[in-house]
Amino acid sequence: MATPAIEFRNVAKVYRRRLTGQEVPALNGVSFEVSRGEVCAFLGPNGAGKTTSISILMGFLYADFGEIRVLDCEPGDIRAKAQIGFLPENFAFYKYLNAEKLLRFHFELAGGAAGESTGVIAELLRRVKLESYEKLNIGKYSRGMVQRLGLAQALLRDPDLLVLDEPTSGLDPSGRKEVRDLMFSLKALGKTIFLSSHLLSEVEQICDRVIIIDRGRLVRAGRMQELLREGDQVEIVADRLPQELEASVVEAGGAIERGTQSVRITVATAQKRELAERLWAAGCDVISITPARSSLEEVYMKLVGDGAASGSPGLPV
Amino acid sequence: MKIKTLAWSTFGSFLHNRLIFVLLIICVGVVLIMLTPLLGIKAMASAQGATQTQMMVLQLVAAIMGFVSGFGSLLAAWAAADSVGSEIASGTILAVMARPVRRWEFLVGKFCGVMLLMAVYVLMMFGLSYLLAWIGGERIQSTRWVLLVYPMVRYAIYAAIGVALVPVFRPIATMGFVALLALSADLASSPNFGQRWEMVRQLMHALYWILPSTDLLSETRFLELTQASLKQAGWAEHLTTIAYGLDYALVCLVLAMWSFHYRSLKRD
Repeated sequence: MATPAIEFRNVAKVYRRRLTGQEVPALNGVSFEVSRGEVCAFLGPNGAGKTTSISILMGFLYADFGEIRVLDCEPGDIRAKAQIGFLPENFAFYKYLNAEKLLRFHFELAGGAAGESTGVIAELLRRVKLESYEKLNIGKYSRGMVQRLGLAQALLRDPDLLVLDEPTSGLDPSGRKEVRDLMFSLKALGKTIFLSSHLLSEVEQICDRVIIIDRGRLVRAGRMQELLREGDQVEIVADRLPQELEASVVEAGGAIERGTQSVRITVATAQKRELAERLWAAGCDVISITPARSSLEEVYMKLVGDGAASGSPGLPV
Repeated sequence: MKIKTLAWSTFGSFLHNRLIFVLLIICVGVVLIMLTPLLGIKAMASAQGATQTQMMVLQLVAAIMGFVSGFGSLLAAWAAADSVGSEIASGTILAVMARPVRRWEFLVGKFCGVMLLMAVYVLMMFGLSYLLAWIGGERIQSTRWVLLVYPMVRYAIYAAIGVALVPVFRPIATMGFVALLALSADLASSPNFGQRWEMVRQLMHALYWILPSTDLLSETRFLELTQASLKQAGWAEHLTTIAYGLDYALVCLVLAMWSFHYRSLKRD
């Protein structure tokens, strides 16, 4: 059985302020796994500990406690880093270089021979739609162009694992769609993607697994489909809904959505059997009964609550 | 290969660093100002005795070269600290260290980049020393490689100190610290300083051995243009001096690697 691409076991990290010695916990016993070939979303409000976790994963920070494995190696091990493509949040760059020179620099650091880089770089720039700007100094790039360039450098040397921190930030809607399509194509190639993002609708479309943390603690980890079906409501689709039943559904807090040939009724799971029996008794045809599917945003808000809206107390992440 | 890539990238970043250009322009300005009395003395040579004129010229030339060399030490320390510090502050280090690069490789690459910059500086200083000697009507008697290698060893020490201070200070504070260090080294090597007080004398004695280039790599040893001070030293003495300097730089660099290994890499 293949080992997980990423493994966090009981990881803890505390920041200590230099002058006051004050301790600020950033991660508190966080455990999760990401299997190979999965696209995993890493969610949480600002200050939840996402960037700290990613920094530990990449070997930029050391955890105070716990065990971390990345592609069967310790974080920071160059054997693992050779197979990782990383896009940091707010990708920073050498402004005096152009895209071609920056990518060549990263290509050589990744162990590529200087002579091999030309074709690879041209292909990557075409893929992120920067081929016309390869000679322009990066300092003159727009925020969206920088983000595309960051993605291009993450894709250098065809990595097995992509760690992307806010890959669509700064992109316009069409740019976001292109990044989404790129991720779909990488997913189809069997790449593992660990994605931190605040754009829940996009995450919902792309990801197989979701990990949610808040205030340094793991709130939920699981497969996307399971998470979205975990609600305590069911959806009953019937051919019609008699008047007398409609009133009692509304009274019980249910929701009714009428279509041209069917009626979609959402009620609490506890009322499922009673409503189905009453529909049958009234001569209605019950077409389907399925667990109501929540949106990721609804699930997220339910789990994280106000922390998402107002932001938890700012941790130095 | 990775170290070479990092070194050339670091050197390239210096060529685009406006602050370095401003500092070099200030240095050139000061040298030009110091040249004015030198040229004045030369112009009045006929009015004074030849020996007296020659002495004044040589003293001025030595002062100019001392300034340029001292500035080089500060430049080496600042460039080394800034090359690492600015990467951490801007966050460019994150994408670089996400590559299969070990932390010590990153640091050595940066150090080599600084040494490339200092090699250019030493070549300029070499040219200036010959120019000043020509203006002063003197001939440099020291062998050429001494004029090239000694400053490089001296700057290697200061660059290594600059890199070692990165986890503690910001680049500008590093420069201040190094200036203080150089001043202390100068005082420690001065035979008369603090002789009246036993504690100060002992402190200076200790500093003499701890601080870099208090004597062996000082300007007087390789830059002054007086006939007396520019003696040709034997090979063994040269090699011992260079070994001392390289060893000092290596110790500082190893300390820097050790502290950088445990440093958090996140934007400041």
